[in-house]
Amino acid sequence: MRKLYSLIRACMTSDMNLFKIKQKNATGIKKLFLPLFLSLAFMFAIWSNAHLIFEQLAPMHLQYVVLSLFVFGTSIMTIVEGVYKSGSLLFNCKDDQLLLSLPIKRSTVVFVRIFKFYVFELLFNSLFMIPLILAYLRWAESINWTFFLTSFVMILLLPIIPIVISCIIGAIISSLSSRFKFKNFVQTVIAIILLLAVLYISFFMDTFYEYVVKHATSINDMLTKIYYPAGAYANLVTNFNAKDLLIFILINIGLFVLMVLILSKFYFRINSRIKSVTTSKKTKITDLKIKSSSVTKSLIKKELNMFFKIPVFIINAGFGLVIFLAGCIYLAIKYDSMTSFYIDFLPEQVLNNPALLILLLMFFASFMTSITNSLISLEGRNINILKSLPIKTKTVLMSKIYACLVITTPMILLGDIILFIRFKVSFISIILLVLLSVLIPLVSHFVGLIINLKFPNLTAENPTEVVKQSPSSLISVLLGMLLLLLNIMLIIKVLININLTLILVIVTLMYIVIDLILYLYLNNKSVKDFNKLSV
Amino acid sequence: MIEIKNVTKKYGDKKAVDNVSFKVNDGDIFAFIGHNGAGKTTLIKAMVGIHDFDEGDILIDGMSIKDNPVECKRLMAYVPDNPETYEHMKAIDYINFICDMYDVDTGTREKNIKKYAKLFEMEDKLNDTIDSYSHGMKQKIVLISALAHNPKYLIMDEPFVGLDPKAVFDMKEILNEMVKDKKVVFYSTHILDVAEKLCSRVAIIKEGKLIKSGSMKEIKGDKSLEKVFMELEETK
Repeated sequence: MRKLYSLIRACMTSDMNLFKIKQKNATGIKKLFLPLFLSLAFMFAIWSNAHLIFEQLAPMHLQYVVLSLFVFGTSIMTIVEGVYKSGSLLFNCKDDQLLLSLPIKRSTVVFVRIFKFYVFELLFNSLFMIPLILAYLRWAESINWTFFLTSFVMILLLPIIPIVISCIIGAIISSLSSRFKFKNFVQTVIAIILLLAVLYISFFMDTFYEYVVKHATSINDMLTKIYYPAGAYANLVTNFNAKDLLIFILINIGLFVLMVLILSKFYFRINSRIKSVTTSKKTKITDLKIKSSSVTKSLIKKELNMFFKIPVFIINAGFGLVIFLAGCIYLAIKYDSMTSFYIDFLPEQVLNNPALLILLLMFFASFMTSITNSLISLEGRNINILKSLPIKTKTVLMSKIYACLVITTPMILLGDIILFIRFKVSFISIILLVLLSVLIPLVSHFVGLIINLKFPNLTAENPTEVVKQSPSSLISVLLGMLLLLLNIMLIIKVLININLTLILVIVTLMYIVIDLILYLYLNNKSVKDFNKLSV
Repeated sequence: MIEIKNVTKKYGDKKAVDNVSFKVNDGDIFAFIGHNGAGKTTLIKAMVGIHDFDEGDILIDGMSIKDNPVECKRLMAYVPDNPETYEHMKAIDYINFICDMYDVDTGTREKNIKKYAKLFEMEDKLNDTIDSYSHGMKQKIVLISALAHNPKYLIMDEPFVGLDPKAVFDMKEILNEMVKDKKVVFYSTHILDVAEKLCSRVAIIKEGKLIKSGSMKEIKGDKSLEKVFMELEETK
């Protein structure tokens, strides 16, 4: 047991820097403040949403349905999130060789890998479950100690079934892709297909809230049937029974143990196949491409090379862009028959004005696509290569920004073109929207890089740790959501009643100023942050 | 010439390098020796501009690395103790990348890449991604990319670790060739017999402080470098 404890502690230490203040100084506390604030802001948004649903269902005494809904929804999100993480969090870790050389059972290694996965999903789940529990306290007809006990157990056990499912899917994806020469490419394609499938399903959710209110009881019955924990939680809260709680605990722990045992059988086979490398045919030196490029072009090529070689990075970075493109196509096809769901959320002026819809989609694509928040951390020890080269830090940082623009701009422009063809948009609006297609993502790229330089992780075990679990990515994602919300509010609450061209001009000018400020910040303060980096 | 002037580098309260001063003249092969954790890598990283330092200055060809980092780095090539490369890249792309950073024209890089790839027996492997290489092969790629831009100053941290005997032999030949052209080779090492035969000057560092520096003859006298080093290590 002591061995296991030491192993878990060693494996978790590097990942938990976010929650550790090494020195009790102002910098440590300041660094903790931003992620904490953003997490609380996110939880507040979830709490507000939960209130809205409780408000609809409380008059019918159906508060427990919200519990089932949240458990189900959170689990689905954990599965989707987990599938992308599992591939690189479970397999091909930096410490594989070290752990495998130690006198410990292979199942213990697998347990530690899955446990680490569990801890991160527990934190992710808590962002949803804690606000739900707090909102329930306000709307519940009666509360006693059993509610707190059940909720505590639920928070602890809820991630288990989703991680079991995502581990299975992740293992299948890794196993399939490991059979191909271009493993990363195959892994990326499978993951994108999965993402598109989730998107396709979510397009049918437009009457979701309306449907929930009308069919609350039958939804609860359905969720209970298809997903056991959803019903179990609602049942235990409304009708506590110690035996049911014990069964619930045993089922979850049993599944976890079973998962460890089964995965131990295949883990090492998959892992060694992933680690195997293929070499090309012997090439004559005369056939090699020896050509020169400019410093910036060469740095951009290096960034793009890194981007396209890390599947989890492509998926994470491409998330907003894929949804943006899918949204543009959806809007182009379904605009005339858009349902009341959107009318509830967006003012008529926006719905009747495709240019504004394009702008809102652009905000979404830009702030949900944070590529730069991992670019410094992904350098790892290679940061020393960059620091020893005869190039200015400013050039290094700006090349990272340009590389991201190379990725985002064509995708956003493609979406723009689809919508420009479908809708009648004035020439001046087209010009301003094309300009904004660069200016808005640029803000997101600047912010991501600045955050990553403040919260670097140069010693990560694998890219997933950097892309999915680092303080930098967490802060960027939450800040991106906040910026998205602020921009939407600015359009639909502040600027909505003025002339469309004027709105676009104001937004363009605003973004030029913000980009300029961020550019100056990056080239002064962030340059110093980069120069301080040390591995 | 490289001039290290009263350089101090602290990590918190601990001085990793403590008021170190010495000069490396043109045409020197300079060995920098010391026990593990003595401060060798810290000083080397400061020399090549990876680390900042708290006090003193480092002059490369009379220019301060603090004030003119880009100009100084343009004259140097750095070979780290652990071959750090962009592993996802093909070796040829990595070497091209480094050459681009040093503005090496196509003719020069083609000539140098061919020369050093042939010497290190890597000619037919340059089209593979670096992650498929062994430690020694990665080290060879780092060396080829360092030599491809004809640096005036070659700064290396434990360059012989992981290299096969032939590569070590060839590397020694390259270093001798470089000093004939009045270039400078500065490297840290634990392999004292190689340093003794190869180097014209030596500096010994202990717990961040320079305890001895001078020509190889002055330092070792009639003894072996290993013996001198052991004696210095034992004295407090």
